[in-house]
Amino acid sequence: MGLVESGKLPKPLTSLLNTSRKYSIWIFQWGLACCAIEMGAALGSPRYDVMRLGVIPLPASPRQADLVCFSGTVTDKMVPSIRRLYDQMPDPKYVISMGSCANCGGPYWDSYSVTKGVDQIVPVDVYVPGCPPRPEALLEGIVLLQERIGKEDMAERWRGEPIVVS
Amino acid sequence: MAAITDRQRLAYANAQAADGRVNLEFETDEGMTLNMGPQHPATHGTLRIVVKLDGEQVLSCEPVMGYMHRGYEKLTEVRTYPQVTTLINRIDWLGSFANEVPFILAAERLMEIEAPPRAQWIRTALFELSRIANISLFVGDMALHIGAMTAAFYAFRDREFVLNQIEAATGGRFHPNFDRIGGLKDDLPKGWIADTKAAMERIRDFCDEMEILVEGNEIFEARTRGIGVIPAEVAMQFGLTGANLRASGVDWDLRRDEPVGLAWNEVDWNVITHPDGDSFARFWVRLQEIRESTRIVDQLLDGLPAGPYMAKVPRIIKVPEGEAWVATENPLGEMGYYVVSQGGLGPFRVKIRTASFNNVSVVPWVCRGVYVPDVITILASLYFILGDIDR
Amino acid sequence: MSSPEAPATEEAEAPVTDEVREEVLAELREDLGDAIVGTHIVPGQDLWVRVTKDAWQQAGFALRDGAGFKMFEFVSAIDWLPSPWGKSEDSPTDEVVETEPAEIVTGYAGGDTRFQVFARAHSQTRKMGVTLKVDVPEDDFSLPTWIPVFAGANWHERETREMFGIDFVGHPHLVNIYLPGEFEGHPLRKDFPLLARHVKPWPGIVDIEPMPGDESEEGEEG
Ligand code: SF4
Repeated sequence: MGLVESGKLPKPLTSLLNTSRKYSIWIFQWGLACCAIEMGAALGSPRYDVMRLGVIPLPASPRQADLVCFSGTVTDKMVPSIRRLYDQMPDPKYVISMGSCANCGGPYWDSYSVTKGVDQIVPVDVYVPGCPPRPEALLEGIVLLQERIGKEDMAERWRGEPIVVS
Repeated sequence: MAAITDRQRLAYANAQAADGRVNLEFETDEGMTLNMGPQHPATHGTLRIVVKLDGEQVLSCEPVMGYMHRGYEKLTEVRTYPQVTTLINRIDWLGSFANEVPFILAAERLMEIEAPPRAQWIRTALFELSRIANISLFVGDMALHIGAMTAAFYAFRDREFVLNQIEAATGGRFHPNFDRIGGLKDDLPKGWIADTKAAMERIRDFCDEMEILVEGNEIFEARTRGIGVIPAEVAMQFGLTGANLRASGVDWDLRRDEPVGLAWNEVDWNVITHPDGDSFARFWVRLQEIRESTRIVDQLLDGLPAGPYMAKVPRIIKVPEGEAWVATENPLGEMGYYVVSQGGLGPFRVKIRTASFNNVSVVPWVCRGVYVPDVITILASLYFILGDIDR
Repeated sequence: MSSPEAPATEEAEAPVTDEVREEVLAELREDLGDAIVGTHIVPGQDLWVRVTKDAWQQAGFALRDGAGFKMFEFVSAIDWLPSPWGKSEDSPTDEVVETEPAEIVTGYAGGDTRFQVFARAHSQTRKMGVTLKVDVPEDDFSLPTWIPVFAGANWHERETREMFGIDFVGHPHLVNIYLPGEFEGHPLRKDFPLLARHVKPWPGIVDIEPMPGDESEEGEEG
């Protein structure tokens, strides 16, 4: 692929690649607490039905997933597993942090055993606020992420530069 | 056909072993150790179970908790009473409203005030609604663990109708934070009673559907009947409560026997028990309990007394010195708060006795000698919420 | 029936007596004799019994077999030291000052030590529960385990050990249940600081949501 090595990608090819990536996201659900149930409702229930957005829930393993949704309270005991799971995912990978707890500690901001935000461990792309966020809010978060993926420059990723999304 | 060399065979065996090691922690003389979790599809949330196996049989089984420990008991000490309810909502996150009630009752007992009858009735109705929201998900979940995916979709679908009603009344789908010391935050909205009754109708249909879908199923019966039997004596020793205790044949329900300041005894309903004590019994008892709950809600809404929904309480809530223990029959079992007050704005110490902690403590006992797939069934049928175990 | 520790004023103020609970107390006294060092009854609500440390296990058996309290509720502990970090009343602008520890005030049924372990069992025939308390002196920070009495005490004692540091003699597997291994300290002790709070004071002290049904005061709010 001379194109890749040269570090350039024609616009149409970029948008083709991005469009196909954006509508075929495998989402790995890492349910941690209360928010997990709302995530379950968003992903598994007939009323919200995430598949219409081109997102496929329940991959067999994080190694097959493009997107991981951390929903719920991250405790210090859980942190090593989260990091390990994130490292197992293949690039390009995205992270949604769902709920106040995963965003910043939420109601447990002063607890001795809660990590104040999953972004201390892994980089987060989309924060979904709420305690718990409604399933619709998670769906909106996914749509935002898709917009973001659509604007990505694949060539930058291949060159190994940090991605700047406008 | 090319002959397979020893080298190839060895490489193959090595690769297989490497694959196998993903979930195996170590092997000892006494058997093999299998690690399930902390993120495992068969555990609701982040419970980790370390099982020692001999072949397919479990030698010993040790749940490892704490992945969801959020320090409630410490945090309650640095919150004021109204703030505490916000926190404790989130202990058993499927039946949130039911978490608030015993704490509020304990505080009310210390302050020696009583909620007006209307508030008590609405509390009881919302309590039962959260029970339905909680247990209907269990029904789907239990079937899911045995391999019947459809039931889970049905549960998620019909649960929404109950959540809608909770939201209409309290403003929150999950964590209503609606209960106040001395009554409720608000009265019921207009038209809520009729809507709720319609929702109860749907839930009863859901129960019928589940019975057709799950109960007669041969696979389901084979995997749950006679599995994980807990005798009544053992259940009491471990402090099992709720449907787990009633499925062992103990006729005990705090709603009937000690209805502290709530309106269960004003309506007509039955306590469901089952003599078997196995996984099937636990499933069956819970399913019947949803039905009873819909009956309770219907009757409560029919007879809702008029009047104020809030007693006179001071603006700044200070609870006099004392200690109080109040327990109620929550969806998962008995949940109690031991509140120690020293006269401040916040409690001095709150001991939260949750149902799941005791319910799951029986796992090492009951899982000894069963087969690996049965561990999943037993865990699913004991029904716990991680927040309720770890707190 | 009050002991010297629980003053008799309680009885004078509340002439209502609670025969069911008095009866239980009498039964326990028969079994335990001098081991009962403090009692308290709130009529119609609850019964507290404080026993000596040596009789802790024996009290459990007396409760279970003698008095018929067969259902186990919980074992936990309490630290009566007033929190050196102040209470939740601190306003966000206040500096958290480290004050001299105030005097220890113990609750119902009295107590002589900073730490007390309390446990509860329930009787389904009598439809009531009993809270047992026991003092744990800090120079001998241990208690006999309750596992022979109620098997369910196993995890509760592990939790208590972790949260308060109290050792349970005879417990087969006294390891941490919640916190990761490298965690230092015993969180539920009152002198365990919540560090996040020291960095940033509690913002939620302003807690005057107008109460519904409290019309009289609404005018003042404006
Ligand atoms: S953000 Fe709220 S609902 Fe979500 S996990 Fe935290 S406490 Fe639970």
